Amino acid sequence: MDRAIRQRLEERFGDVLAGPVRQRHDETEIRIGPGDVPDVLRALYDEPTFGFQLLADLAGVDTGDSMEVVYHLWGASSPDWLRVIAVGLDRDAPRVPSIVSLWPGAEWLEREAYDMFGIIFEGNRDLRRIFMPPDYKSFPLRKDFYLPDDAARSPGAGVRAMEATHAPRNAPPGAIRRVGGQAGPR
Amino acid sequence: MTTTDHRRASADDPRVMLDEQVGVFEPIPPYPPRTEREAEFYSVGDGELLINIGPHHPATHGVMRVVMKLNGETIVDLDPVLGYLHRGVEKLCENADFHQTIAYMDPLEYVSSLFCEWPAVMAYEKLLDVEVPRRAEYIRVLTGELNRVSSHLLAMGFHALDLGGLTPILYSFIERDEIVEMLAAITGQRMLFNYFRIGGVNGDLNHEFMSRLGDWMSRATEQVEANVGLLSENEIFVRRNRDIGVMDPETAIKMCWTGPNLRASGVPFDIRRAHPYSVYPELDFDIPTRKEGDSLARYLLRIDEVKQSLRIIDQCLHQMPDGPVLAKLPRLLRPRPGRAFAAVEGPRGEYAIYAVSDGTDQPFRFRIHDPSFLHLQSFGRLVPGKLIADWMTVNASLDPIMGGIDK
Amino acid sequence: MTAVARAWGRLTLPGKVVFTLVPILAVLTASLIALIVLFGGAALDILNANLGVVRFVAAATVILVITIPIAFLNIYLEMKIIALMNLRVGPDRVGPWGTALSVVHGLKVLMKEDFTPSGADSVVFTWAPVVTYAAAVLTLVVLPFAPGLYAQDFNIGLLFFFAMGGLGVVGLLMGGWASFNKYSLLGGLRSAAQIISYEIPLTLSVVGLLILAGTMSLNTIVVQQDGWFANWYVFRQPLAFVIFFIAATAEANRTPFDLTEADSEIVAGFATEYSGMRFGFFFFAEYVNVFILSALTVVLFLGGWNAPFEIDPLLDWIGGILPGLGITTPVTIALDPGGLGLPLLFLLLLVPPLGTLLFAAPFFLLRSSMRWWVALIIGFLLFNVVAGGLVMAWAYVSFEAVAGLLWFLGKTFFFVFVFVWMRGTLPRVRIDQLMGFAWKWLLPASLLNLFVTALAVVVVGS
Repeated sequence: MDRAIRQRLEERFGDVLAGPVRQRHDETEIRIGPGDVPDVLRALYDEPTFGFQLLADLAGVDTGDSMEVVYHLWGASSPDWLRVIAVGLDRDAPRVPSIVSLWPGAEWLEREAYDMFGIIFEGNRDLRRIFMPPDYKSFPLRKDFYLPDDAARSPGAGVRAMEATHAPRNAPPGAIRRVGGQAGPR
Repeated sequence: MTTTDHRRASADDPRVMLDEQVGVFEPIPPYPPRTEREAEFYSVGDGELLINIGPHHPATHGVMRVVMKLNGETIVDLDPVLGYLHRGVEKLCENADFHQTIAYMDPLEYVSSLFCEWPAVMAYEKLLDVEVPRRAEYIRVLTGELNRVSSHLLAMGFHALDLGGLTPILYSFIERDEIVEMLAAITGQRMLFNYFRIGGVNGDLNHEFMSRLGDWMSRATEQVEANVGLLSENEIFVRRNRDIGVMDPETAIKMCWTGPNLRASGVPFDIRRAHPYSVYPELDFDIPTRKEGDSLARYLLRIDEVKQSLRIIDQCLHQMPDGPVLAKLPRLLRPRPGRAFAAVEGPRGEYAIYAVSDGTDQPFRFRIHDPSFLHLQSFGRLVPGKLIADWMTVNASLDPIMGGIDK
Repeated sequence: MTAVARAWGRLTLPGKVVFTLVPILAVLTASLIALIVLFGGAALDILNANLGVVRFVAAATVILVITIPIAFLNIYLEMKIIALMNLRVGPDRVGPWGTALSVVHGLKVLMKEDFTPSGADSVVFTWAPVVTYAAAVLTLVVLPFAPGLYAQDFNIGLLFFFAMGGLGVVGLLMGGWASFNKYSLLGGLRSAAQIISYEIPLTLSVVGLLILAGTMSLNTIVVQQDGWFANWYVFRQPLAFVIFFIAATAEANRTPFDLTEADSEIVAGFATEYSGMRFGFFFFAEYVNVFILSALTVVLFLGGWNAPFEIDPLLDWIGGILPGLGITTPVTIALDPGGLGLPLLFLLLLVPPLGTLLFAAPFFLLRSSMRWWVALIIGFLLFNVVAGGLVMAWAYVSFEAVAGLLWFLGKTFFFVFVFVWMRGTLPRVRIDQLMGFAWKWLLPASLLNLFVTALAVVVVGS
């Protein structure tokens, strides 16, 4: 745990932070609003006191109530992984500014987050599906996404389907998709 | 080709298919380009042709598809198309309990499975605040470095194979086979080990492993050097690799590269040193780097890394403490709600897991980060203006494994 | 069910084959003998009258048929040698040491489905392998295998060879164009570019040799190189030999110049859409080409059928020193078995058992643990080896053609081995490197060779 970085982060970004700086093990976590993402990340990248130049990961998260985009950064100034969470994206129309101008390599990471969560990254020039087929309509990693597997659809529907036993937590009953109006989850 | 006149699709477009009954080429959906970039790519200019490399092609290291826009033999632009191996491992892991997810990690990068298990167990250990026994940490480093050597040997062999050399791959597979056999002696599997557990490893080192490793270590350095010497001074091989796919350090960082590919561009970033984990701080090894950043540098850097890994293995064998190899943990794990991020330096770069727990026995969100995914993205910067054969060289030197890319 | 049907049902598969084939063969043989007896004399007269036509038909048949064992042997050698270089076992299932595997491969491609992709130009698609194969076979016509063992001795033999060799690319281009596949098209265009580029150094490198030889007849070129190995053209045209061999590698589409079928780049090039025997024909042609280009290298530069030493002076020398060693009986090497008359039959009857016993005796007497029948088997095998060796030696000394053929095939298969060796060792070059090498290095070098040779001829001649 790097106490110094916490202080510096609080001093620099005190007004945009959406919550306290949290630290656990070798990770430091800050939360910001989606609109502040480009400014905060650019400051973290450019300013010599931070110098977080490596984007270690970019992930979308569906908390069930809202969407998040999580950036993990590494810089020589701190021994910690820095986690920047853009919180509070609207689940119906999640939008966040793209960071492709800062890290061109984030393009595919954003495409993946779009493919899996439907998060629109404004400014990404090539935001199309990357893993799922082009004509696919849903976003598989959302918590309300539920796909009855083939066994549940087949005549031998009694086979234990993984999704049936592990029903999505916090998912409203209507969110469960039924195929052909039969053999849904039990 | 604009978005409206999609009736006039040409046979050159890979997104059209032959309608057997009608005998005409029909566009497959979705036809209108989805993004600006896609529209630009699929508008074929004069004298250009689109060609599909993959999904099943001898040089694509799995089921990757790359649509290339060619002008003669020169690559004008290219568009990798992923997803042919997509299994939805992240979703599967969100529906499995913590122990079960480790088994899902192995087939991600099937040539370096331990490096996919490692960040997962590290992330869970952070979530659960588990202390890993020191012997277990040493065993993880030892087996991990063995796996790194075997993965690099495979990469170097396939590099030669993609360039048309038939023999080197079989020579490097001799050593690789010895390593997987020795790992099979402790893990019970040759490729998908499923060996790391939360809080340690599954089973101590046994006699067969130690005797095989001792035999192998006594000849490993010479053997590896003899095998790579087949190629690294071969004039044809060197000429095909030098100044091909050059990546400068600034762009490499901006393209989120990690691992040997980044170090071959001259950036000495290695998570084992940059963000130390496990017992790496106690071990003495160097971070080899090269300045050129071309395919040859990436090939030669892997040889250097193999030598450093052999040093680490040697030290691990000498410093290995006694003790338990698995921390005592309940069978049903319910960590407190929280988030954990763990990354390890694998043979291809940064393997990372971001796990979010909501207090149940399953991860709430399980994010897998794979380095090859980001290396593959850079084709558009590395190969345009070069020839088709150079794409194979660059692809082989980047060493992607599609299992991890497509998740 | 009749007794015949029951008996037939009990037979194994080989039994059924034998029982079917033997009567058919017997009837055919009997009728053939009858035909020869009845009309043999007249037919012989007609054949004698048209000896040129007969010779041509026979030569064409032999040349067409001989490509099959040549290709099979080359394929087997490639599989086995590359396997040994890769520390693998290689083919070892069909036949002794897997030698029949390439025959099985041939049967396999015959049985596979032979389809034409939709959209392909089926006529051109079908004829492409035929053109390639025919070009390869036609070049065999001018190759002298041994003294007197050649199909035709043109006075423009070498020109004919290059003309026919150049036809092969037409087939590849046809296949590449007609397949309706972009990989095939790229492969066909690559082969056109490559083979046309390498034709130039290939041909130019030989021009210097032609100035020295003064003829284009391959037969005459070989005859000019007889005697000791110092007479071979490789010692007078070393640069031309190197250029010729490199260009020949590219002509035969072999590693490191196998860009037309670069499997890791354009899948299989011109052959991507081919299957079954059409595919087989392409690869037959390739392996025959390897043999032919090796043979041409041997013919032009390494003395063809000539032994590297002269056997007659050697024999004379041996004959000269024998009396000095106390042997006074004259050694007649040129045996005439026909002169022995009836005793020859007794000899043929008695020698094998006696030889077997002779060779078995030492094993049986020296090793007390050895069973008598094991010793007999060893003796029989040893006798066969020795007798075979003696017969070969006799044939070698007595018949010029046998000796020539042995030397010719030995040298040729050495070069086939070199081709395979390169395939096992080297990676593939890139297309721009390939073209650059031809135009920037091989062409100037062959021109240099030509000028130096011409200059030397003028200077020495004047």
